[in-house]
Parts: sequence; structure tokens; C-alpha cells
Amino acid sequence: MAEGLRQVISRNVWKDNQVLRQILGICSSLAVTNLMTNSLVMGLGLTFVTTLSSLTISMLRNLIPHRIRMIVQTLIIASYVILVDIFLKANLPDISKALGPYVGLIITNCIIMGRAEAYAQKNPPLLSAADGLFAGIGYTLVLLIIAFIREFLGFGSVFGWQIPFLNFEKWTIMVMPPAAFFIIGVLIWVMANLFAPKSGKKS
Amino acid sequence: MKNAFYTVGFMLAVSAVFALVLSLANAFYLPTIEANDQIDEMRDILYVLRLDPDGDADAILARYNDAVETISSPIGDIHARRDEGGAPVTYAVPFTGAGLWGSMRGYIGVNAELDEMTGLAFTEHSETPGLGGRIDELVYREQFIGLPIASDTRLAYGAAGGETIDAITGATSTSNAVLSILNRVLSDNLPEVEVAVNG
Repeated sequence: MAEGLRQVISRNVWKDNQVLRQILGICSSLAVTNLMTNSLVMGLGLTFVTTLSSLTISMLRNLIPHRIRMIVQTLIIASYVILVDIFLKANLPDISKALGPYVGLIITNCIIMGRAEAYAQKNPPLLSAADGLFAGIGYTLVLLIIAFIREFLGFGSVFGWQIPFLNFEKWTIMVMPPAAFFIIGVLIWVMANLFAPKSGKKS
Repeated sequence: MKNAFYTVGFMLAVSAVFALVLSLANAFYLPTIEANDQIDEMRDILYVLRLDPDGDADAILARYNDAVETISSPIGDIHARRDEGGAPVTYAVPFTGAGLWGSMRGYIGVNAELDEMTGLAFTEHSETPGLGGRIDELVYREQFIGLPIASDTRLAYGAAGGETIDAITGATSTSNAVLSILNRVLSDNLPEVEVAVNG
């Protein structure tokens, strides 16, 4: 493959960002972004799963029978997600509670399956792992941006730290799921404009 | 044919490897997870007994061992909080019942005279997150603090008996399930509690 590490990074984090450009993983972006801590843990969990599942799938890519590849991918992804879930329950019980069912739902996060199908299947292990890693980082960054806006306006805090000397009316809407819709919508619009062909110069 | 055997064999091998890894991880972390669950249950008991449920695991354990005493009874272990002189202040009465999607388990707190509720906590339930799951939120649970109760009390949503409890919007079935469990606990278990705590 002609693509190097640098392209993998810029593609996943910026140009083809999974959430803002590919519109994948929207469900969890709406659900867990009211606090930055939760978003960070969710992002790390997803990054861990995408990296390892891409690595595993890529290593097995010549062994997996084509007809059952989806089922094998799901099995591998699900196993890693359960590992994350067990780890969170044991070591970070509070965050595990706050994230609730969304950790288990990482399994259905389209980003992971997307990377497996679109990339890990046809590329060497290390590059696939990097692809998964940076897809996860791109997702985490978007989650953190959304969570920063929501937590700052909704609670007046950042990562749970109350900002001093800041006395404004908190935006209750920001704490609730619809706020994520508005913010994601605006971000997608910005990104779409950045990368869309300029009007009038249609090719 | 050879191809089909390979497919089945491959699937079996992959499943076996991952199942083994997961079982090992689970076996390794199970004690920690169970300990965490126990601390969570203690938090719930402390909360309905009107004790401070915040703090880290050690603080909770110390506070629990310090102030809470367990009385066994036919309806399960009742947890009592006593004051310095040994007189009971509040009791945590366990309950189980059917929620919308599965069974619910938790505690209701009652005062020493058994005529006022001092709290409500769910240790385990499988209600829809974001809808019925909101029974865990303090806004809902705090409504039950201070409600006058007796074994013939019938709690209802809306303005009933001078007290107002609100159901959760979008979670009518769960809200109703909670009240029917509470009403059953009051009529069936409250007399049992009285027998158990007064000897």
C-alpha cells in the first residue's frame, strides 16, 4: 500500500474524521458527551478496541475465510469490548456506572467495524493498528470538543473542575442530549465547508 | 467440502481462544467487581438510613461497620442505625419486585416509629437507561423522603394524601412498578419489620 503513517494520521484525525466526515459513531457522541471525563474514558475505550481489533483482524486477514469474515470480526471486537467493560467495572466503578450501557455498545460502534472492513482486511498489521489507533484518537478529540462545550456551558466546569470567578446562568439544555445534536451539526457543517469543493468552481 | 471444514474449524478455534482470554480476565477481576458491588450496596443502605453515602470505599466500609447493625428477619436482612445510646434511629428494609424489564432490588428507609419513609434506593434494576433508569436520580428518589406511611398506606402519583409524588415522564410503566412494589412492601412487610425489630 502506498499510504504511509503520516497519511494514516492526517486522514483519520482530520480529513476523514470518523465522526465529522464519515458520520460514524454518532450514537455515543450524543450520549456520553455531557462530561469531559466520561468522554475521555469512552474515547480511550474505543481507541483501545479499534487498535487491537484492527491489529488482530489484520494479522488473521489471510486466514479468515471470506464468507464468515464479518462474524469473526464481530467476535474479535466483542471480546475486546468485554475486556474493557470488565476492566472499568473493576477499576473505575464510578465511571463504569456513568457510562452505563454505552461501554457494551462500543461493539456496535460503526467506527470499529468500518475500520476492520475498509482497512484492516487488506493492510499489514502495524499499519492497520495505526489506522485503528488514529481513528480512535480522531473520535476521542471530537468527543472532547463536544464535551468541553457542553460541560463548560452546562456545568461551568472542565473535567469536573469548577472554573473560578465565572458566574453565568448555566445552560440546562447543554446537559441534555439535544445539545450534542446542535454541536455535532455545527461541527459537521464547518468540516463539510472546509472540504467541500468551492461553489462556482464545480468540477 | 475441505473448505467447509476449514471454515467451521477456524470459527471454533477463534471462539475457543477468545472465550479462554475472557474467562481468565473475568476470573481475575471477579473478586474486585464483587467488592465494588458490595460497597455500592452499603452506599445505598447508608443513604436510606440518612447517613452520608459519599466517600471512598474505605470510608464507606468504616462508616457502615461503625453505625449499621444487621437484624435477620423472614423478609431478609434489615439494617438498623442506632444512636449513641443504642436506640434505633432508622431502618433499611430490603425489597424486591418486578420492574418493567426485570426484577428490581433495593432498600427503603423507615424511621424508628415505622411511620415515615426516610429514603429509597435501588441496588439493582434493568430499566431503560435514560427513561425508566431515571428512578436512580435523586430528583425522583428524594420525593419519598419524609412520606408518612402505615401498613394501609396506598401511595399514588399526583396529589394524594396531601403529599405529592411525581412519576417520571416517558417511563409510566416503570414508575407504576415502583409504586406497586412500595405499596406491597408497606402492606405485607411493614408488620414483619415491626415484629423483627421489636422482638
